[in-house]
Amino acid sequence: MAMSEKAKEFNQLFKERLNRQHVLSLTACAHCGMCNDSCHYFLADNDPKMTPAAKADSIRGIYKGHYDWLGKIVPFWVGSRQVKTDEDLERLKDVVFGSCTGCRRCTINCPFGVDMAGIVSLTRSCLVDVEVAPEGVLTVMKDQWETGNQMAVSKEDYLETLEWLEEEVQMELDDADFKVPIDKEGSDFVFVINPREVKYAPLSLQAAFKIFHVAGLDWTMPSEGWDNTNFGLFSGKADLGGHMGNLAYNHAKQLGVNRMVISECGHGFLSTKWEAPNWGKANPLPFEMISILELMVDLINTGTIILDPKKNPLPVTYHDPCNLSRSSGLTEEPRFCLKRSCLDFREMIPNRADSYCCTGGGGAMSMAEYAKKRLSVAKKKADQIRETGAAIVTTACHNCVDGLSDLIKHYDLKYEINGKSMWLPVKNVCELVADAIVIPMELPKRKPRVKEIVKPVKVLVIDDQPDIVDYLEALLQDNGYEVITAHDGDEGIEKAKADRPDLITLDVSMPGKSGVTVFHELRNTPTFEDIPIFIVTGVVDFRQLMYQKTVEAPEGFMQKPINPEVFLMTVDRLTDRTRQKVAVEESGKPA
Amino acid sequence: MPAELNWHELMPFTHLLVHNLHYIALAFMVVAYTIKIWSILKKPAAREGTPAKGDHKKAIQYSFLLLARPDEMESTRKQWYRWIEFAVFHVAMAVGIAVAFTMPWAHEAMKGSFIVYFQQGIFGIAALIGISRLVRRITRADMRAISTPDDYFCLILLTLWMGSGVMNAPQTSEFWLLSYFSMATFFLFYVPFSKISHYICWPFMRYYMGKHFGHRGVYPKKRIAGA
Ligand code: SF4
Ligand code: SF4
Repeated sequence: MAMSEKAKEFNQLFKERLNRQHVLSLTACAHCGMCNDSCHYFLADNDPKMTPAAKADSIRGIYKGHYDWLGKIVPFWVGSRQVKTDEDLERLKDVVFGSCTGCRRCTINCPFGVDMAGIVSLTRSCLVDVEVAPEGVLTVMKDQWETGNQMAVSKEDYLETLEWLEEEVQMELDDADFKVPIDKEGSDFVFVINPREVKYAPLSLQAAFKIFHVAGLDWTMPSEGWDNTNFGLFSGKADLGGHMGNLAYNHAKQLGVNRMVISECGHGFLSTKWEAPNWGKANPLPFEMISILELMVDLINTGTIILDPKKNPLPVTYHDPCNLSRSSGLTEEPRFCLKRSCLDFREMIPNRADSYCCTGGGGAMSMAEYAKKRLSVAKKKADQIRETGAAIVTTACHNCVDGLSDLIKHYDLKYEINGKSMWLPVKNVCELVADAIVIPMELPKRKPRVKEIVKPVKVLVIDDQPDIVDYLEALLQDNGYEVITAHDGDEGIEKAKADRPDLITLDVSMPGKSGVTVFHELRNTPTFEDIPIFIVTGVVDFRQLMYQKTVEAPEGFMQKPINPEVFLMTVDRLTDRTRQKVAVEESGKPA
Repeated sequence: MPAELNWHELMPFTHLLVHNLHYIALAFMVVAYTIKIWSILKKPAAREGTPAKGDHKKAIQYSFLLLARPDEMESTRKQWYRWIEFAVFHVAMAVGIAVAFTMPWAHEAMKGSFIVYFQQGIFGIAALIGISRLVRRITRADMRAISTPDDYFCLILLTLWMGSGVMNAPQTSEFWLLSYFSMATFFLFYVPFSKISHYICWPFMRYYMGKHFGHRGVYPKKRIAGA
């Protein structure tokens, strides 16, 4: 059989990119099976094809076909194989993208140290170059190349969000002096973040800003090169990895900072601190790079911030992100912070470097085609969480937050508070630290939002569940919004046309017209295309569709169960522009 | 009283095997391994350019010493019996090779009952371990999925070799001497091509693993006060 063009190119790239460590990992395996029980893919249902060695053999076989003495003469004897067709490439894609998160749990349990993540990354990079890769991965890579961040957030949106967060922190601390400094030259540190924090989960940013302010730190946000995530790591593409790293490093150099502080993101930290300087040939860098976890340990240790654990009385557990615990050695710092921020900290067993992967792995959330499998192999993690009996799950990674939130719903992990059973919330470590922080002087409570609204902002709530509609209606009205409600897609579109709201909150799964259809219809109607849409859904797969751009990204996204604080923050952020406009129209001054 | 093997009246082939072929095979293995190691080392190594967080030297030491610390890895902690199997089996292999190269010239000294019993004990246990490993490889679906014909072949042959070592230790029969040395010689020729050669990669693997994890502060495992 003739070799396909893609297979030819793949084989060539595979040979060219092999380094010494890859060759050793591809040569050394003794097929002892000691690593079998390390992998969550295998442990979920004991599928023999899912052991690390079996998956590695799909790659090892290719290597043996090219280089092994016996493998070239009697391939069946040593399990060597050839990649000849596009179907072979597709099968390989399912192994390296769909059956391994590169968590390295097998590596630390292998008597040799066979580096699965290394050989998976090598194979991914070759597959990506012949365009045999999940659509979502290719899309995110394209966004990073073109826009400098993985969620294609425009500079305007990014800066507006920071401005809005500035107001939030001002209100929370009742301190009009609080500013989010942007491009402040000569600051002690620049803070680089995950675009998910800007786009959908700003609570961790608000928490970080609060901590910086209370601690009186000299810091700045960068206007460029702010994305600490890097799809170069997930795709194995060193060129993209180097490009993303250099965007951040070059801007930090221009600002003349002493340090770069990396927000809570596993793959963001691994790539920004350890990998990208090598990929982008950026060494040596004139500043130090640390995680916000290390910064917080320092602030606590030096007494710069004081914490009151009584402010977080519920039982809390911590999930170790693989990229932080197994690949970056950050296992103690989060525990140090949490044990001082909450009253009841409970370890998952096993933990630290032995912790199981959340299955959100680096960029795994962007691959909708593997979402089902991802959730089915998350069983081990779900069992770990359940056994702690915790009411709050914390982690130091945004991918893990998404991965854990999905599995909590899938495995129905609930906690009872005041007789009400709720899915466990997942938070970042800095959120708990910020909640526990003792403000030096007693500050008045947050100003009611209603005072901020010059003229009521109109929100249309579309959801088929009457109790959710009632709940959101009450929540919004209590905070000064005017609310219109609709109970299905058709009614929603009708009301949107009749009342022209300033914001629409939209459920996805509804009888009749689905939320996705309503979303597309509104987006494609010229006069409605600029109304911000806030998706509030229980559909686990929706986030994947959004990440891989199967559906256009809405302005806001939240997964049920509804966290009222995050919900109101998002509504506030999405209606901020309307309020500004109204204020200008009414008084000639911005609100 | 069992018959004694007369080393001065060996069959010509047995004589050739224990005194000549055996060493030719060893020389071949050394050359083949040299080529193998050279082909690995000619590939560029991935290097770290970032400032180190941990101590490379300590981490490399830790990485090597993990071999003797079954409590440090979950896999060996949970499957401690497999760690013991591994230790005994590999010690027996080393003893087997040592016996193959000392017996031709020190056979008289090796007739002492302690040395004979020691050989029989270690080779016997290793043969039993070989059988248990084989049974595991055949009966467990996850082990079958990662086994190649080479894996089965090597395991069967090593088990037989250990068995022949038990029989050959008292030096009573030329048949067992021939069996033991022909298998030992075959291994020396075959090993560089088979999975058994994994052990030459081990030091390199542990070195790079220690260096990598040491650089990033993962190894040696740490604790900070109060965490
Ligand atoms: S790296 Fe993680 S997901 Fe991949 S095979 Fe190893 S244990 Fe499984
Ligand atoms: S533990 Fe290591 S040597 Fe053994 S099968 Fe797994 S990867 Fe191979």
